[in-house]
Amino acid sequence: MPPSFLEQSRRSALEVYEREPLPTWRRSGFWTTTVRNLRLDELEPRHHDPVASVEELPEVAREALADDELAGLVVQRGASTVHTTLDPALAEQGVVFCSLERAIEEHPELVARWYMKRLSADEGKFSAAAAAFWTGGAFLHVPAEVRVERPFQVVYVIDEPGTAQYAHTLAVVGQFAECSLREYCLAPDLEGQALHAGAFELYCQTGAQVKLAHVQDWGSGEVYDISTKRVEIGRDAHCSWVPIHLGGHLTKQQLDIVTAEQGSDMRHTGLYFTEGQEHLDLFTTDLHEQGDTTGDTVWKGALTGDSRASYEGLIHIVEGAQNTHTYLQTHSMLLSPKAKADAIPSLIVQTDNVSASHGGTVGEVDEELVFYMMTRGISRPDAVRVLVEGYFEPVVQRLDDPSLEALVRARIAAKLSAAEQQVAAYAAER
Amino acid sequence: MSLEIQNLHVSTDDREILHGVDLSVAKGETHALMGPNGSGKSTLANTIMGNPAYQITEGRILLNGEDVTEAEPDERARAGLFLAFQYPATIPGVSVANFLRTAVNAGRDEPIKVKDFGALLRENMELLKMDPAFNKRYLNEGFSGGEKKRAEILQLAMLRPQIAVLDETDSGLDIDALRVVSDGVNALRGPDLGTLIITHYTRILRYVRPDFVHIMLDGRVVREGGAELADQLEEQGYDFIREEVSAADAS
Ligand SMILES: Nc1ncnc2c1ncn2[C@@H]1O[C@H](COP(=O)(O)OP(=O)(O)OP(=O)(O)O)[C@@H](O)[C@H]1O
Ligand SMILES: [Mg+2]
Repeated sequence: MPPSFLEQSRRSALEVYEREPLPTWRRSGFWTTTVRNLRLDELEPRHHDPVASVEELPEVAREALADDELAGLVVQRGASTVHTTLDPALAEQGVVFCSLERAIEEHPELVARWYMKRLSADEGKFSAAAAAFWTGGAFLHVPAEVRVERPFQVVYVIDEPGTAQYAHTLAVVGQFAECSLREYCLAPDLEGQALHAGAFELYCQTGAQVKLAHVQDWGSGEVYDISTKRVEIGRDAHCSWVPIHLGGHLTKQQLDIVTAEQGSDMRHTGLYFTEGQEHLDLFTTDLHEQGDTTGDTVWKGALTGDSRASYEGLIHIVEGAQNTHTYLQTHSMLLSPKAKADAIPSLIVQTDNVSASHGGTVGEVDEELVFYMMTRGISRPDAVRVLVEGYFEPVVQRLDDPSLEALVRARIAAKLSAAEQQVAAYAAER
Repeated sequence: MSLEIQNLHVSTDDREILHGVDLSVAKGETHALMGPNGSGKSTLANTIMGNPAYQITEGRILLNGEDVTEAEPDERARAGLFLAFQYPATIPGVSVANFLRTAVNAGRDEPIKVKDFGALLRENMELLKMDPAFNKRYLNEGFSGGEKKRAEILQLAMLRPQIAVLDETDSGLDIDALRVVSDGVNALRGPDLGTLIITHYTRILRYVRPDFVHIMLDGRVVREGGAELADQLEEQGYDFIREEVSAADAS
């Protein structure tokens, strides 16, 4: 019997799900995001048996995990949690890291205190679907004052077309605790449709220090990702959040950071690379609920093929949140004449005595720099590759996680070399 | 190895900047190209490297007798040409070491071994008295004017071209930096390197003595001579040449 808080939450989410039509997101830019090509009724949760070791996981997951030393690992394949590990020494210190299903059984009160504190099932059809139907999931609790060096790793894998994956990760980092958390969303190049509807919530309590990374690479198949991720930062706590979007047929995500109490500080550094027919639609909010909070948001993207990407970033400083300092910058680099990008920063400031600035640009590879590099004997395709890698490099370094940095660099390099001829030809014809 | 420029006419935006320039630099020789601001020195340097911003409307550029007028900049570089820019570009996110390794490898069939590259880089940075910390910084990002010039000469040292054009490498350098850079250039000079040093001061020419001096005025080479021409210029300024040229035009 699931505890009543969960039952209740699922029930009201189901009502919303049944009531809400399939959404269309009209952007302030020149386009809309629709899911009209998604055949939702043909998708279903797929169940899999647990495996005893990483070696038995689907190849995409194995490759991405390499041989990292982890504090713990939770892998969900389709609808099922298939593999879970946690360093016993950490378990002894009170760390909980397991599927959300199991956490609800074993620590119902702890989960109930945080579950969907900042998320609502009433944010549209797909948020409701995630809240009503999630299975497996992941839960992390790092108790007060516990410091964990090695990363906690959550992996969501879809490896069969026809899969609907409803995901929910809840992480709570206690007072003055320190840790880093990675969440990967991965699929091989599927033939056919799949859906990932996800919810992610992280709470950083007083004085906590958290490094958070999201890596999404759904491959070249027709994977739809419609997710909401929210991070709350408590008093004098700090979170550095690096979401990385490397692939997905259609992605619509809402990424929000709330600096909720005095002294809370965030760094939000995002990266995307779209190719082929991909469609990426991101909306981020930097919400300051109290004064003396600080924020720093930088997003960088590059587009090849016929892909389109829209990034809209809102800074919202509420009434009374004085002495807040924050800024937001977004850049997109077009590497193909058919790709389309927009970068829309916006600002709502409801108080005085704050500093907030924002800016957005969409540009192309700088021909003067290409010329400079070519005068050193570097061919045009290599020059473009090095320039795009350099453009992303400051973002990649903000991961502050060598093996993850290497993974991201390698994937960007692979995408660039796949598009090499097209990118170089585009630069040359301008 | 030689660079030959024949009757070069160059335009931008429908305006002709160079009106028929002839100039040859052979391996082992040191040439100075002098001229007042806006006379067309950098235009010549950029055109030699194939900058697409400049159109050649007449004349040609030969490298070892081969016509490279239409060649891409990277082909010219791999054939042995090098330009130290007057205003070097900043390459965001690309470290000095990464940039140099890419450039060194571009000229080789097999990539250089990491260890060999490290040794080569260290050796050349020492030659130019550069702090090893430089090699982790993004190329030219936040570099002072003098640091940028030094980074250009570091590239020259690493790439070992046969003909190098140095466009005002001396300007923006304080006297100590000028010494270091000049010593660096002198160390690289020899029978295998031809240099064309562009400057409008004679300062650098005291450290790096030229074999030939060419003077450019309004897009033309108007006087040529030996090192003594530079000395004369220092004493009398460009005006005496201007007067001579207009007197010759009048008659
Ligand atoms: N890309 C360009 N587009 C338009 N005009 C140009 C361009 N490059 C140079 N010019 C013009 O051509 C003329 C020669 O410029 P150039 O930079 O070659 O002179 P220079 O001799 O190198 O001068 P300095 O000593 O100041 O460096 C100038 O009038 C300049 O404004
Ligand atoms: Mg110049």
